[in-house]
Amino acid sequence: MNEDHDRIEKLLAGYVLLGLSGEDAVEADRLLSEHVPSCPRCRDQVAGFQAVAGDLALAVSPVPPPDLLLPRIRRGVAETPVRRRNRASLVAVAAGVAAIVGLAGLSVQLGGRVSRTEQQRGRLLAAMEALQQPGTSPVSLESQGQTAAGLVEVSGPGLQRMYVIGRDVPMPSLGHVYQLWLGTRGTFVRVEDGAFVPEDGLVLLELTVDTGRYDEILITEERMGDVPANPSHLGHTWHAFLAQPEAA
Amino acid sequence: MQADDRLDLELHRRVSEGDRQAFEGLYRRYAPAAYGLALRVTGQDSLAQEVVHDAFLALWRAPEAYDPGRGPFRSFFLSLVHHRAVDTVRREERLRKRAERASNLERGTGEDVAEEVVEDAYLSTRRKEVREALRTLPPDQRTVVELAYFGGYTQAMIAEELGIPVGTVKTRTLAAMRKLRRALYRED
Repeated sequence: MNEDHDRIEKLLAGYVLLGLSGEDAVEADRLLSEHVPSCPRCRDQVAGFQAVAGDLALAVSPVPPPDLLLPRIRRGVAETPVRRRNRASLVAVAAGVAAIVGLAGLSVQLGGRVSRTEQQRGRLLAAMEALQQPGTSPVSLESQGQTAAGLVEVSGPGLQRMYVIGRDVPMPSLGHVYQLWLGTRGTFVRVEDGAFVPEDGLVLLELTVDTGRYDEILITEERMGDVPANPSHLGHTWHAFLAQPEAA
Repeated sequence: MQADDRLDLELHRRVSEGDRQAFEGLYRRYAPAAYGLALRVTGQDSLAQEVVHDAFLALWRAPEAYDPGRGPFRSFFLSLVHHRAVDTVRREERLRKRAERASNLERGTGEDVAEEVVEDAYLSTRRKEVREALRTLPPDQRTVVELAYFGGYTQAMIAEELGIPVGTVKTRTLAAMRKLRRALYRED
């Protein structure tokens, strides 16, 4: 066991220094999604190594950036729409086919975590209420990676809102976030405000969007801060076909 | 938690609410460190500017990517800068041309060559601690860490550069990271 952990920790040390390539990089990604989340020793080691990697930056002398850099960044900030920002927008819930049951059960089971803010509880209740509206249905997203994590999408006709709910969702690769896409006939558009990272493996994303216009949903890993025009299809991905509204 | 870490948390919280003044507060605190790091890794002023520009805009666009439960903001942000700098170097395929510069890594990590920058006392103190921790590593361990972190080399490239097996690079890297962690965080 110790010998195996030595092997794992060698990979993790190389990972945080961005020194892995080839099979080692693939194996580290697998470990980070499958082994590390459930191994206290490795979780602690990754956190410790990442802190060291962050501090290593300080070994280099600071250099005043060129005067023109801040105005450039200000222009970029001004061109970026200020979206409704809310750190507490990612919450808990269940995955799997019995989403309604799971939601109810987990709202109790994860009570301590959910009650960290009333806002989180509010989103959880909103998702549950949405599931009870006529025509609303949960859709399980199928993982296309080697992970047991589950994500469910909830939407319905007239709801003008969708929820993405998940648990045991691995962290995206360093410097990346997950991005939500909606598609029609294989062509995907990036969902504004659809970038997210799990919190302790848990996700509850609430988005104002009319899913009736789309027939597919896709979640990909994208570089943090990028505004990609097309899905990268790198790293973890989830996909599902959305149920079409029944004809009246 | 250090007072500086608490200030970072507060600034980050305000950035999450769209506060531009707080964003510029984080820029003033971290731009010199970020630019120094990006310049070291990329070796080019124009590339370093792109890296720092992109990193700060990434922070503005997705502040939720930082989870305070996973460590100080400083570590998160400088790791982001480092990640982008290494990505840039690899994308530009300039690694092989920088072998000469990589062999001269000692200069910048141990000496203050541009310390006219005014920075917070805590950062300055931490900088000394990090340099001291690096200095106490055995030279062979320090070299693999510096080639990976500041040179943007993969472990396979380090093995080739130093003429040693990849397994040895991995062993030295782990030993170095464990020692650095103990030195910087006083942990087992």
